[in-house]
Formats: sequence, C-alpha cells, structure tokens
Amino acid sequence: MQKLFRFATDYVGYILKGGVRFYAWMGTLALFIVGMLYVFYLQNTEGLIVTGMTSQIHEGLYFSNLVFLVGVAAGAVTIVFPAYVYHHEGMHKVSVLGEMLAITAVIMVMMFVFAHMGRPDRLWHMIPPWGIYSLSSMLGWDVLVLTGYLILNFVCGFYYLWCKYTGNPINKKWFIPLVFIAIVWALSIHTVTAFLIATMPARPMWAHTVMPIRFIATAFAAGPSLIIIIFLIIRKTTRFWIDDSAIKLLTTIVTWCLGIALFLTLSEVVIELYARTEHANGLYYLMFGLHGLTGLVPWFWSAVVLMIGAFILFLTPSVRNNMTLLPIACAMAFAGIWIEKGMGLIVPGFIPTPIGEVTEYYPTFVEWLMTLGIWAFGFFVLTILLKGAIGILLGDIKFGAQAATAK
Amino acid sequence: MLSLSSLMGTAALMTHSDDAHAAAEWGEHFQKNYRLMTEQEKIEARDRLQRRYSAEYGKPVSVDITGAQPGVLMGYALNIRKCIGCRRCVHACVAENNQSRGTRPGEKIEWIQVLRMERGKFEKEKMEHGYPEGLGIQVGGNAYTPAGQVLEGQFRYTPEAVPEKDATYMPIACMQCEKPPCVKVCPVRTTYREGDGPVVIDYNWCIGCRMCMGACPYWARRINVTTPVLPKEAMNPVTHYLGNRPRMRGVVEKCHWCLQRTRQGRYPACVEVCPVGARKFGNLLDPESEVSKVLERKNVFRLKAELNTFPKFFYFYD
Amino acid sequence: MKKIAIYTVALALVGGALYAAVAMEKPQEEAAVQAAAETKEPVVCFESRKGASEITQKDIKPGLPNVKCSPTTNAALWYGDPFEGTVPMGKMPGLENLPEGHAVVKPRSDKLAILPMCGTACHNGVGPSANPPTLPKDKRPTAIPTMESLVPDLKDLQHGRGRIWCLDCHHTTKRDKLVDHFGDPISFDQPQLLCGKCHGDKLRDWRDGIHGKRIGEFASDGKKRWFTCTECHNPHNVQDGERNRGFIQLQPEPPPQLPRGMADAKHELVHPVEH
Repeated sequence: MQKLFRFATDYVGYILKGGVRFYAWMGTLALFIVGMLYVFYLQNTEGLIVTGMTSQIHEGLYFSNLVFLVGVAAGAVTIVFPAYVYHHEGMHKVSVLGEMLAITAVIMVMMFVFAHMGRPDRLWHMIPPWGIYSLSSMLGWDVLVLTGYLILNFVCGFYYLWCKYTGNPINKKWFIPLVFIAIVWALSIHTVTAFLIATMPARPMWAHTVMPIRFIATAFAAGPSLIIIIFLIIRKTTRFWIDDSAIKLLTTIVTWCLGIALFLTLSEVVIELYARTEHANGLYYLMFGLHGLTGLVPWFWSAVVLMIGAFILFLTPSVRNNMTLLPIACAMAFAGIWIEKGMGLIVPGFIPTPIGEVTEYYPTFVEWLMTLGIWAFGFFVLTILLKGAIGILLGDIKFGAQAATAK
Repeated sequence: MLSLSSLMGTAALMTHSDDAHAAAEWGEHFQKNYRLMTEQEKIEARDRLQRRYSAEYGKPVSVDITGAQPGVLMGYALNIRKCIGCRRCVHACVAENNQSRGTRPGEKIEWIQVLRMERGKFEKEKMEHGYPEGLGIQVGGNAYTPAGQVLEGQFRYTPEAVPEKDATYMPIACMQCEKPPCVKVCPVRTTYREGDGPVVIDYNWCIGCRMCMGACPYWARRINVTTPVLPKEAMNPVTHYLGNRPRMRGVVEKCHWCLQRTRQGRYPACVEVCPVGARKFGNLLDPESEVSKVLERKNVFRLKAELNTFPKFFYFYD
Repeated sequence: MKKIAIYTVALALVGGALYAAVAMEKPQEEAAVQAAAETKEPVVCFESRKGASEITQKDIKPGLPNVKCSPTTNAALWYGDPFEGTVPMGKMPGLENLPEGHAVVKPRSDKLAILPMCGTACHNGVGPSANPPTLPKDKRPTAIPTMESLVPDLKDLQHGRGRIWCLDCHHTTKRDKLVDHFGDPISFDQPQLLCGKCHGDKLRDWRDGIHGKRIGEFASDGKKRWFTCTECHNPHNVQDGERNRGFIQLQPEPPPQLPRGMADAKHELVHPVEH
C-alpha cells in the first residue's frame, strides 16, 4: 500500500518537473480545456441547439470524432500485437506507450459520448441495477467493450509500469493472457463501433458488410501514423530512444492498411455509383453534391488527395526511411482518414433523411471548441501518461531512488 | 461514470435557462423506467408530473397513466388517393401534442411530414436527351422523370391551393412497427412497444443518444435540441405519461397515436381533422373496425416493407 | 514556470468570459403570446367545405374551446368536443346494429337559413294567391334570377353531366326536403339516403367508415359523429371536384420550419442528379 502511494507521488512529482516548452504546451492545452468545459456547460443548459445538429442530421462533429478515435484506440494494438505475438524486440520495449495511447483515446471517446448525448446527466440509466442495460443495442455493447478496453489497457499498462517501478518481475501467468485478451478486444471495440452504424438498414450508405473491415483498415492506418509521429517527438524531446525497427514496422503496417483502406473506398465508390440507385445518394452528396448542395465535396476530395498522396509517399523508400519526411506522410494519412472516416462518413449517412429530405450540416463554434477542447484534453492526458511511462522506462522513476529530473 | 453523471444531474437541476420552469423534484430525476415501475410508483410519478406541469403552465394539467386495453391492437390506414396535402394533420397534431413551437431553428417540431411528389411528364422532346449516343441511347432521356418516385419529392411546398394538378401527396409519421428497429437499438430500453401496439418513449428515461433516430427508416423521431417552447395558452392540459405530456431538453419524441385520446377510446387528432377523410384508425383485432375493413377490401401497402419492420400504418387507395 | 501556467489559466478564464459575451446566442423571446385581447368578432373556421361546414369558436368549459382554428387558413384544426352541436343520425339502412345514440351528425338544416321559407313560400303547391306556382312543364327549367342569386352554383348544373335536374333530388312540393324514388321526403340532415341511391359503392364504404369521415370514439360500436355527404361535397358544383379528385382546392397550412444550416428550401426543386 505504501509502495502504491510512493508510486503515485513519485509519478506526479516527475510529471510536474518540466521546462518552459512543457508548461507552454500544457498551458495551451489547458486553455482549450477550459473552453471545452464552458461549452459543455452551455450544451447542458441551452441544449444541443448551440450545435449545428438537427433532427435531420443528428450526428456531426462529435460522433465523427468518436468513431475516429475508437479507431485510434484500436490502432494501439499494432504495437502490442507484434510485441507479444511475434516477440518483436523493438516493439516490446515500447508496447506500454501504445497502451497509454489506447487509454487516452478511449477517454477521449467517452468524452465525445458525453458531448454528443442529449442528456448526459442520465447516463446512469445504462448501468444496472439502477438502470437498464439492453443487450440488443449496439450502443450498449459499444459502451461495454470500450469500458472493458479502458480497464484492460489500464491494468496491463500500469501493471507493467508498476513492475518496472518496483523492480518486481512481471507475473506472466495472468499478464500475458490479459494482453492477448486486450489484443482481441481492440479489434472488437472497433468492430462493434462499425456494427453501431452498419446495422441500421435505414441508412443505406452505412448498411453494407464492408463497413467493419473498412473501419479496421483505416484504424490501423491512422493509429500507427499518430504513433509514429509521437515516437519521433519522444525521440526529440526525451532521452528515450525508440528503435528504428519499431518505427519501420509501424510504417509497414500503415502502408498496408492504407492501401487496403483505399481499395475498400474505391470498391465502395464503384459499386455504389455503377447502378446509382437512391441508396447511393449519401455517397453522391459526399462526392459531387446533391440537389445543388455541395458542402462536403471539397472535404471529400482533399481527403482522397491526402490519402492517395500519403500512400504513394509511404510506398517510396526514400520517404519511408527518412525520419524527417516520414511524419509528413503520417500527418497526411492521419488527416485524410480523419476527414474520410469522420465527417465524410457520418454526416453523409444522414443526407438525405430516410424519407428523402436533403439538408446540410454546419458545425458551430461550440462544436469546434468542444472538439478542440477534447482533443486538447486527450493530448494533455497523453502527455502526462507518456511522460510518466517514459520516466519509469528510463529508470528516472524508481522505487527507492531519489526523484530525477526529466525534460 | 455514475458519480460524474449524478453530479451532472445535480448541475442540470441547478441551472435552468428558462425561469418559468418549475423545478423538477428529486424523485422525478431518480425515478425508474416506467415499464418497471409498480402501480404505486406510477401513481407517484404521475402526481409529481401533474404538480410540476400545473405549476409551470398555470392551469390544472392531468397526466393519464391508463395502460393498454386488452383485446386492442391499434392500426392506421391512410388513403393516398384522397390526401390533398393540406397539412392540417401536421398542425392538428401540434395543437394536440404539446410540441415545441419556437422560432429558432430546431425549436419547431412537427411529427408528421407531408411529401409532395410530382406526377412527372414523359415528353417526346426529352427522348433525344439520353446518353450515351453511339450505338444507341442506353439511358433514355425520360429517365429521372419523377413520376411514381417516392423520396424524390418536396417537403416545403407552398402552393396557393392544394391539391395541385401535377402533384400527389403522402404524409409520413411513425409507422408504429410491430418489429421496430428503434426499439432494438435503444441502449436503455426507454422506447418500447406497448401491448396495444404503439411504440412509446418514457421521456424521463431517455438519455438522448439518438440511436433510435438513426435506426428509424421513416424519419419518424425528433430530438428536442433545447427546452421546448410551449406557451401556456397553447398547452393541451389533457396528457398521458407516454403520450403528449410536455417533454424536456435533450429527449427524443415522436407520434404515439395520441395515447391520451386512444387509451380513452377516441380517435387521434390527425384522423379527426383530415378534411377529406383520408385517415382511418381502429382496432385491428376487431373485424368491424374501419381499418380491418380497409385491409379486407382495399389494396394496401406499407412503406419500405423490405426492411421487415411490419408497420401498422397502412397506405391504401381506392 | 508555474507562473506561466497560472497566467495561462487566468487568460483562459478571461477568454471564456469574453466568449460568453460575444458568441452565446441570445435566446429569442418566448413565442409571442396569442392575442388574448380577442376581437369582438368570434373566430369562425371551416372543416371541409367552405360554406357548408363552418364552426364558431367558443369555450365549452373555461379553457377548453370547442375548436381550435388555424390562424393562416381558417381551417378547423382540433376538436375540443367532437359531439358538440350534434343530433342523432336517424334511421340508416345498414347501420341498424349500432347502439342507440351512437351515430350523430351535425344538422344541416340549421345552416340553411332560408330553408323554413322554402317549405312554405312559393313551393307548397298552394303559394300566394297572387302568384300561384306551377310545376315546370319540362325538365329543363328556365333560369329564375331569385333562385340563381340564392344558389349561384346552379348555373349549368353538371351533376351527372347534364343528366340530372333539380327535382331529381329536391322534393317537388316540400322544398325543405330532398326526395327519394318513392316520392317520400328525405331530411337535409340525411343526404346519404339520397346520394347513396346512385353512389352506392361510396355509400357502402361510407357506412363502413372507409369513405368520408367520422370523429369521436374509434371502437366500431363507439359513439361517432359522422360527416354527411354535403358537409364535404357540393352537389351543385361538381366540376371542381372532378378535376381535383372530388374535392375542391383548399389553401394549405404552412410548411415545416427550415432546419439549422438551411437558408431556404429552393434545393428541393432542383433535381438531385443532373443527367
């Protein structure tokens, strides 16, 4: 018990030691977080009328980010899987960082859930025994698997760190099975999220079997892209060195998955537009506009350019192996997938409504501030978790040792 | 999560943007799902609500909790040959069911949408406008003529007089499906199918996740994006717990076949107001009811039947 | 370093306050209260046919109006009491099994202001001695200015495409009644007994509730107010009805509100896919 307390105090003490850059970064994020808290208050007093959501298009920025971030959370498995299944040494050293990212992403997802619900103060209605949990509802399953994933990653990640902190050996008897469960669970969180929208035949843009695999492919392209960028930042800002082999493996994963994702997108476009039935109206709105309304057309084509451009860059060895150009390709892939899987998937699903009404959606300042605020909160938490994890991995935080300074 | 949401509940209790609201009692915030309540709890919930609504609207408001009557399965039939698109049903529904009726976008809720479909004209001139040209025109120029196309219509038509010669009309509202997709996706089971047929929502239990709105193939459900704007004079004080009682911010609502009327045996408001008698309502289990007679004698169809929702709202023509 | 953090947080709070002042939408005034200051004239709205189905709005009980009218089109939108002002339907072949008093109608006789006169002045076979009436010698009556000004629709009666004339429906001598094929009078409150002679399929559907309109209790043996034929259809003017599906044109109610993000609904008129 005392060890736990020391762990906590050492951890927090280590986090708080930082230079100007660190505090400037955290301060900027805190600004956005305060903004987010304010607009959250607005949403819970004025209601969702402060957002751009309507009865016609009732999911917007929040749900888009939610879906995207579940993918990022699932993408953390691309570190854990090679580390534990293939015993990839480079990955093994950094697998706990992937778990930290997964924790952060799931927290962000839950915050977006709070942001998009009409009555977040009634969420206890979902928790038995005071509430009802409906097993037939995909959203219910989503909440279950997300909470489970959060707990799994928290336990696995912090147990690993705890062992490193105290110097105890890891109890492989239950740790390894738990990690394997977490790996499979990662796939399930994103599949259930895909099921969430793909099991609604009322929305023909989503109700096809390619949706889950598309989600997984884009998740495994976006997640590792972000991880690569984070690893490169960690290399620059801390003493922790991440092996080239880890980054190269992640690059390979991104290349493959981005390719698969582009292939799936292409298939969808061909299949929907070949017969051009009314079921393709949502996709048509996204690509070319409908009834003269073209709000999302520039978004779609920029996403396409970004993704194809990123794919070509990833295929080029001179870019792939160049640690200065690689983050650009990663950022392009990340942005492209964010657009295409976020706004580019969620909003057109509601256009037109199932009875044919075409309307457009414009996110408001409140929504942008909330989104930025939640991303800022995510990065805030991620910075803390990564800093603590790196501190422990580097040995800066060690039980019994005096607190070392960190950068 | 539980503590966080309870904290939020407390915060929500404290902060109200509209001063005229009477405060919801703690009991109302922590009451159970209506279906799981005992008779006594239902009565308590009803009394709380009557107190709150009466204080809020300055007149005695009754909240009925009559349950489903045995031997009744409500059904609806609409004669689309008769509908003239006058939209009186839309406004009768609003007059009866206490929807929000403000001026900001999203504050005016109507449960019935009337779709105007053009008859479309097949023209000789258009025959040359098909494509591609070489080796014959593969898509005729008269393709995309709206004749007979549902979902290619308008909702915000404003002619001087209806019916127009070149248009037909089809009102759409909740179909009260026997196999409702909205019920299946609700994570808290706040929307469910009552024993006598209609699909209802317990407004105090709804968490506003809007999964039901996504799953409904008929776009029947609406979200209250803000505290409903309901002037005191316009408020209909005869309400039902699962029916037309005033809703709150952030919950979903939809047509419920005027439970406050139908549970007392009266026709829904839209049926009573249709000036051409296009709307029919009755007990599907009673062979003498007008709906059963329609099913017996007229050609009926349902919208999106291929989705296997089995609506109890039939369209017919004669 | 901590100072920077503190200043940043303070800045954030100030920024938040500024935002509150600038960006928060001012909630509009609550929807304008309906003019409680009622005009002296009572509101009159119509149900189906203008001129044949008017209702005057009044309070049945304090706070419960008998009808709510549309402010834009003068249409009856909501009934407080569906049986207000009704009388029993009377004997109706095919509806014998209905419980007593469960079929009521709104009497038409009350609406035809000159009806009592029709039965006595000029048309009772006796008439004022100065001007004894004669029955028309042929069935194509001469236009009488008095009649035409009373019922302007009568010019060029097209009911039956010119194969029906006045006394096919109206009683020869008791002009405040309609007539059946046996020469017996039919009340104006029961036009279905007359109309159903020729429009039998409509009568069958009307009796079963499929055609026409009934309000009240939906149970098949419930009490209902039945709308009779002439409350919706004008037998003297069927041209408009024929062109527009048997029902004369009405002004529609206003369209739904535009959702947020849409400036107008013009896009609904544009075809979705150009070709």
